Amino acid sequence: MDYRLENTRAITRRTFFGQTGLGLGALALGGLLGDVALADNPKSKIQNPKSPNPLAPRKPMLPGKAKSVIYLHMSGAPPTLDLFDYKPELVKLNMQPCPDSLIKGERFAFIKGVPKMLGTPYKFAQHGHSGTWVSEVLPHTAGIVDDITLIRSLNTDQFNHAPAELFLYTGNAIAGNASMGSWLTYGLGSENQNLPGFVVLISGGTDPTGGKSVWSSGFLPSVYQGVQCRSVGDPILYLNDPAGMNRDSRRRSLDALDRLNEIEAKEYGDPETLTRIAQYELAYRMQIAVPEVMDISREPQHILDMYGAKPGQGSFANNALLARRLVEQGVRYVQLYDWGWDIHGTGTGDDLMTALPKKCKETDQAAAALIRDLKQRGLLDETLVVWGGEFGRTPMNEARGGSKYLGRDHHPHCFCLWMAGGGIKPGMVYGETDELGYRIVRDKVTIRDLQATILHAMGMDPYRLTYKYQGLDNRLIGPSAEAVVQKALFV
Amino acid sequence: MRLKMNPVHIITGILAATACGSLAIAALPGTKTGFAAQSKLDYQRDVRPIMAANCFACHGQDEKKRQAGLRIDARDAAYGKSDGGHVAIVAGKPMASAVYQRISAAGPLKMPPEKSGKRLTAGEIDVLKRWIAQGADYTPHWAFRPIRRPSVPAIQNPKSKIQNPIDNFVLARLLKDGIAPSPEADRYTLVRRVSLDLVGLPPTPQEADAFVNDHSPDAYEKLVDRLLASPHFGEKWARMWMDLSRYADSAGYGSDPLRPNLWPWRNWVINAFNRNPPYDRFVTEQLAGDLLPNPTQDQIIATAFHRNTMTNTEGGTDREEFRTAAVKDRAITTAQVFMGLTMGCAQCHSHKFDPITQKEFYRFMAFFNQTEDNDQPDERPTMPLYSDAQQRQIAALKTEMATLESSVPSSPEAKAALEKKKKELAAIAPVNLPVMKEVAVEKRRQCTTLTLGNFLLKGEPVLPGVPAAFNSLPPGAPASRLGVAEWIVSRDNPLTARVAVNRFWAQLFGNGLVVTEEDFGQQGTLPTHPELLDWLAAEFMTPTQRPNEPTTQRPAPWDIKRLLKLIVTSATYRQSSKAAASAIEKDPRDRLLSRYPRRRLTAEGVRDQALALSGLLSEKIGGPSVFPPQPAGLWQAAFNGDRTYPTSTGEDRYRRGLYTFWRRTVPPPNMATFDAPSREICTIRRIPTNTPLQALVTLNDPVYLEMAQALARRIAREGGATPELRSAFGLRLALGRPPKPEQIQPLVALYEKELAQYKTGIDLAKKLTTDPLGPLPAGMDPAEMAAWTVVSNVLLNMDSVLTNH
Repeated sequence: MDYRLENTRAITRRTFFGQTGLGLGALALGGLLGDVALADNPKSKIQNPKSPNPLAPRKPMLPGKAKSVIYLHMSGAPPTLDLFDYKPELVKLNMQPCPDSLIKGERFAFIKGVPKMLGTPYKFAQHGHSGTWVSEVLPHTAGIVDDITLIRSLNTDQFNHAPAELFLYTGNAIAGNASMGSWLTYGLGSENQNLPGFVVLISGGTDPTGGKSVWSSGFLPSVYQGVQCRSVGDPILYLNDPAGMNRDSRRRSLDALDRLNEIEAKEYGDPETLTRIAQYELAYRMQIAVPEVMDISREPQHILDMYGAKPGQGSFANNALLARRLVEQGVRYVQLYDWGWDIHGTGTGDDLMTALPKKCKETDQAAAALIRDLKQRGLLDETLVVWGGEFGRTPMNEARGGSKYLGRDHHPHCFCLWMAGGGIKPGMVYGETDELGYRIVRDKVTIRDLQATILHAMGMDPYRLTYKYQGLDNRLIGPSAEAVVQKALFV
Repeated sequence: MRLKMNPVHIITGILAATACGSLAIAALPGTKTGFAAQSKLDYQRDVRPIMAANCFACHGQDEKKRQAGLRIDARDAAYGKSDGGHVAIVAGKPMASAVYQRISAAGPLKMPPEKSGKRLTAGEIDVLKRWIAQGADYTPHWAFRPIRRPSVPAIQNPKSKIQNPIDNFVLARLLKDGIAPSPEADRYTLVRRVSLDLVGLPPTPQEADAFVNDHSPDAYEKLVDRLLASPHFGEKWARMWMDLSRYADSAGYGSDPLRPNLWPWRNWVINAFNRNPPYDRFVTEQLAGDLLPNPTQDQIIATAFHRNTMTNTEGGTDREEFRTAAVKDRAITTAQVFMGLTMGCAQCHSHKFDPITQKEFYRFMAFFNQTEDNDQPDERPTMPLYSDAQQRQIAALKTEMATLESSVPSSPEAKAALEKKKKELAAIAPVNLPVMKEVAVEKRRQCTTLTLGNFLLKGEPVLPGVPAAFNSLPPGAPASRLGVAEWIVSRDNPLTARVAVNRFWAQLFGNGLVVTEEDFGQQGTLPTHPELLDWLAAEFMTPTQRPNEPTTQRPAPWDIKRLLKLIVTSATYRQSSKAAASAIEKDPRDRLLSRYPRRRLTAEGVRDQALALSGLLSEKIGGPSVFPPQPAGLWQAAFNGDRTYPTSTGEDRYRRGLYTFWRRTVPPPNMATFDAPSREICTIRRIPTNTPLQALVTLNDPVYLEMAQALARRIAREGGATPELRSAFGLRLALGRPPKPEQIQPLVALYEKELAQYKTGIDLAKKLTTDPLGPLPAGMDPAEMAAWTVVSNVLLNMDSVLTNH
C-alpha cells in the first residue's frame, strides 16, 4: 500500500456532511469512507482518526506538556557572545591575534588570514534569582531569565545561512524536506479548524535566508505547509473577496455552487466532491476568522504597550503579539522569522555597535512581553517558546576587506538559544563553552537534539514521528540515531 | 541456540530499525490481507514486506548497521552461518532456523527487540514460518527481472468491448474478482477527457460537437490523432517533464537569483514532445547530447536537463560543496527519473532495501563528476543562443563587414563604418544557456566515496560504474554520461521501459500501475497489473503491428505518441467514471480500473482550462517565462537579488501555466496551493490535496476573477438573450456538455438575486466587472455584468470543472 497517497487521500477528505446539510449519498458512500480507515498505519503511531479531517486535533503519543510552539527565529544568526555567553577572558584578549590553534584546519565563510580576537564591547550583569548573565543590549530579556532556560551549548554542522536554516527546520541542509511546523501539525492536527494549523509571520524586511522552504511541507501533504500571514494586503493570500463583492454575494454564490456540486456528487458518487464542498465552506469561515485573529487593534492599549506593538506594521513586536493571539485560538505552531541578525561588521548596517543594538531594540521588549503575557494568561505551561538563530558567530573580528566596523563571522561550533514554557525548567542555564566561546566544553546540544527535544515537549516521540516517502520512514531528526531528547531541560 | 546479542546491539537495533521502514502487507482490493491459508507464499509479495519493515534495518544489506553478522535479505547469506555460527534459515525447517526461533521466542531473545517498537503479529510470524517450511524461496524483486512480453490473456465471450490488448489484461483481472467494467463514457465526456489528457486544454464547443456528430467508425481515433498532432500536445507533456527535471527560472538556495536563461531548454522539451523522437533518443540527448559524435546545437541544448540543479550564490559558500551537491543531485535525479530508483539513500550508507551499495552510489555519481560547471553565479559553461532574427542580423552584418574589409585601400569612412558594424555585432546579446561540458582531460577529477555524503570527507577512490545488480554497461559503452545513457536505454535494462510506460499511464489514469512512480525498488508498491505493465514495456521497446496501423511501415520502437494512442484508445480508458455500487464495494479505490478515475486537474491544468473557457488564453507557444499577476510584495521578501516582480502586460498575462516564471523560493502561489512543487529537487509525483486554500485561489485570486469577468462578457456576447439561455451557455462551456435543467436553475436564481443587489450598487458593479480586466464594452450594463461575473466565478469553481472525469 502506498501510505503517502493513502494518507493524503484520507486526510484531505473532509466530510462535514452535517455542516453542509448534505445528507445525500452519505450512506451510499459509507463504503468508500470506511475504506479510508485503511490509511491508518498501525505502525506509525500517528493517530489517524475516523474523522478524516487532516487538521483535526490528535492525541500526542506521550504525555507532553506543550500544546503549541512559538518559535522566534532571529534570521542571520545573532552574535550570542554579545548577548548571553559572557567571556571576560575574551574581553582581555580583545584585538590580540587569534592563536593558531583556533584557526588551524577550520573553514570560515569570510575570515581570511589571522584574525584578531573580539571581546564583547557590551557590559554584562547577572539577573534574577538564577543569576543568569545577560548583556546590556537585552534589558527586557534580562527581566525574564527566571522563566527561561538559557542553553549556551547549541551546535550545528552548517555554516551558511540557507543550509543552516534548512537543517534546523527541516532536518536537511538541502531543500525539499518537511519543516518542523509541518511535522507537528501532521502529528497533532490543530485545535482551531477555522485557522491554519501552522502560521508563519515575517519581520525585518525580508524572508529568512533559507527562503520559503523553511516552512515547506516537503514530502508531507501540502495541507501541512506553513501559511504565511501578512500584515499588509490580505492576511492570507486570496483571503479577501474580490473588490465589489460583498459577503452576501459570496454566501449566495457558495450556496449555488453547493447545489451544483451536490448534483455532481449524486451523479458520480465521488467522495472528493463532498470534500470539496466542505473545503469551500471552511474557506468561507476562514475568511472571517483569520482577519479577526490578525487584528491586533482589538487588544487593549496596555497590552500593545507591553509588546511595543503598533497596529498596521509588519514588526516583530506585532508578530509576537499575534503569536500569542494565534496560540490562544488553538493554532498548533507559530513561526516568527526576524531578519537582519547577520552581524558581519562590513558597515553600520551589520555591525556590532549600530546594527546589533538596533535589532535588539526591535525584538527584546516584545520577546520578553510574550513570555510575561503568556504567563499571566496561564498559557505559558502549554506553550513552548524558543528563541534563537541558525548558528553562532566567531569570537574573532571578521574585518572583511579590512573593514573598520566590528563584526563576527559564521561559526557553527557553538551558540546560545533560549526556551521557555511547555514543561521547560524555568531559571536554568545549560551547557558551557570554553573561555573564549569557541567550542563547547559541557552539555552539547546539537540541532538534531533540539529538534528531538521540541517534538518531545509536544508529546511526540521524535523517533516515531515518521512519514513514509520513497520507501523510507522519514523523520524530522533524520535517518541516523544521533538525536537525543535533552531531558535535563524539562521540569 | 541463541544469537549473540549485546546491549550495544539492542540500542543500535532499535534506532536503526525505527529509521527505516514500517510497511504493512500490500493487499490488492479483492484479495484478503490474510491471503489464502494454504497457497504457496511468494517472497516478494508476502514475506519481504514483513522482513523489510521489521528486520532488514539490522539484518540487511547495510554492512555498517548489520548486527551479529547476520543477513537475511539475500538467499546465500541467510542460508549461511552468522558470526555466532547460527544459520538464519534452513529451507523447509522452521524449527531449525534461527529466524523462526527468535521471532517466536519470548523474553529478551525475542526479535525484533522489545525496545525497537516493532512487533510481529501472530499472522506475520505464521507467514514467515510457512514460507520457510515451503522452502524459503527467495524470488528476485519483480522490477529487477528482465522484461519479457507476457502473452495476452484470452477473454472468453467478453461482455464488454475489447479495443486492444490493454483491455484483455484489465478485464482478466476484473473478472477474477467478479467485477464488470463500466460502459463507455458518453461522447461529450470522452472528448473533454482526452483533450484535457493529451493537450491539457478543453475542447471548444465546436470541437466537441464535431466529435459528437461524427458517426464514422474511426471518429474517436481521428480525434486522438488530431490531438496528438496539435502543437499544444508538447506543452501538456513538457509540463510533466518540468517537475521531473526540476526546471526553474531561478538558481535556488537562500538568495535564489533569477536564472532567465534556461527557457530555451524548455522550448527543446516542448518541441521534442511534438516532434516525437524515440524515447531512447530523448533520454540520451538530455543526459549526454554533448558527448554524441558531432553534436548538433539542439543536442547540446538538451543537456541543460542537468543544469537545472541549484547554484548557491550566498556569500561565503564553498563552491566545491555546492558543486558536489549538484553532481550528487544529477546522479540521484537520473536514477529517479529514468529508473525509478531511490539511489540517494545510498550516499550515506548502502541502500537498506535495494541492491545499491554506498560504493556503487559513488561509482555511479563518478559518471557525472567530470563536468566544468562548479557552482558559479554566472552558471558557466554556457552556450550562446541567437534567435532567428538575430541570426539573420548577424549574417547581414558579417556580409557588410566583409565587403568593407575587402575594399582596398580602405578609406577613413570605410574604417568608421566597419567599427560601427563591429559594435552593432557585439551588441547582439544571445541567451546564454547553461549546458553540460566535460572538463579537459588533464583536469579530470579523482572521484572518491564521501563519508555521509560530506564533500570534505573523501573516502576511497572510485571509478565510474553501474550497480552490479542490474544489466552491465553495454559493450563498448564509454565511461561517461554517454555510457550511462546507453546503459539506461539498453533493452537489457529492466527498469527504463517499465518506469516510462508507468509514468505515461499515471498521467492518463491518475495513478500508475505501480503507484509509487518514484520507487520501483523493493519498498515501492507492487504493480496492480504486473503483466500489463510488462506487456506495455515490451510493446514500447519492440512494437508489434496493430490492426489499425498501415502495413507499409513497421511501427517504430520507443514511440511515445504511439504508446499514448494505444492507451487512450483502449476500452479501459474510455470507460465512464460513474461508479456502480458493486464496483465501489469491491474496488473502492479503483485500483483494478473498473471505471475511469475521476481526478482534479493539475495546478497548470486548472489555470489553462479557466483561461481557455474565459477566452483569454494566449496560444503562443514557447519563449521566455512570463509574469502573470501575483499578489504584491511576494518578491519583496526575497533575501536578496531581484525583489520586484515584473508583472507582464498584454498577452503574456494569459499564457499557459507552463510558462509562468518559476522562482524556487517563491513559486507561483496560486499553483503551489494546487500542489505544484517548488522544483528545488526532482518531483516524480504530485500528491493531490483538496484544501480550503485552493478554494480561496479560484474564488478570489484576481487572476481567476479576471477570467470570471471575461467569461461573463463571453456569456453576454454569445449566450443568448435570457438568463436561462445564458446560464445554459455558461454551463455548456464550462462542463463541455449540454447542461441539465436542475443545473441551470440555481444559476438563474443566483443571477437574479445578484442583479437586484448590483442595481442598487452600481459602483460595486463597476468595480467587480472591470478590475482588473478593464472597461466594459459599450452596451454592457454594469449591474447585469456584475451578476454574470458572480455566476462565472461559480462556474469556474464547479467540482466538475476542476475535475477530469
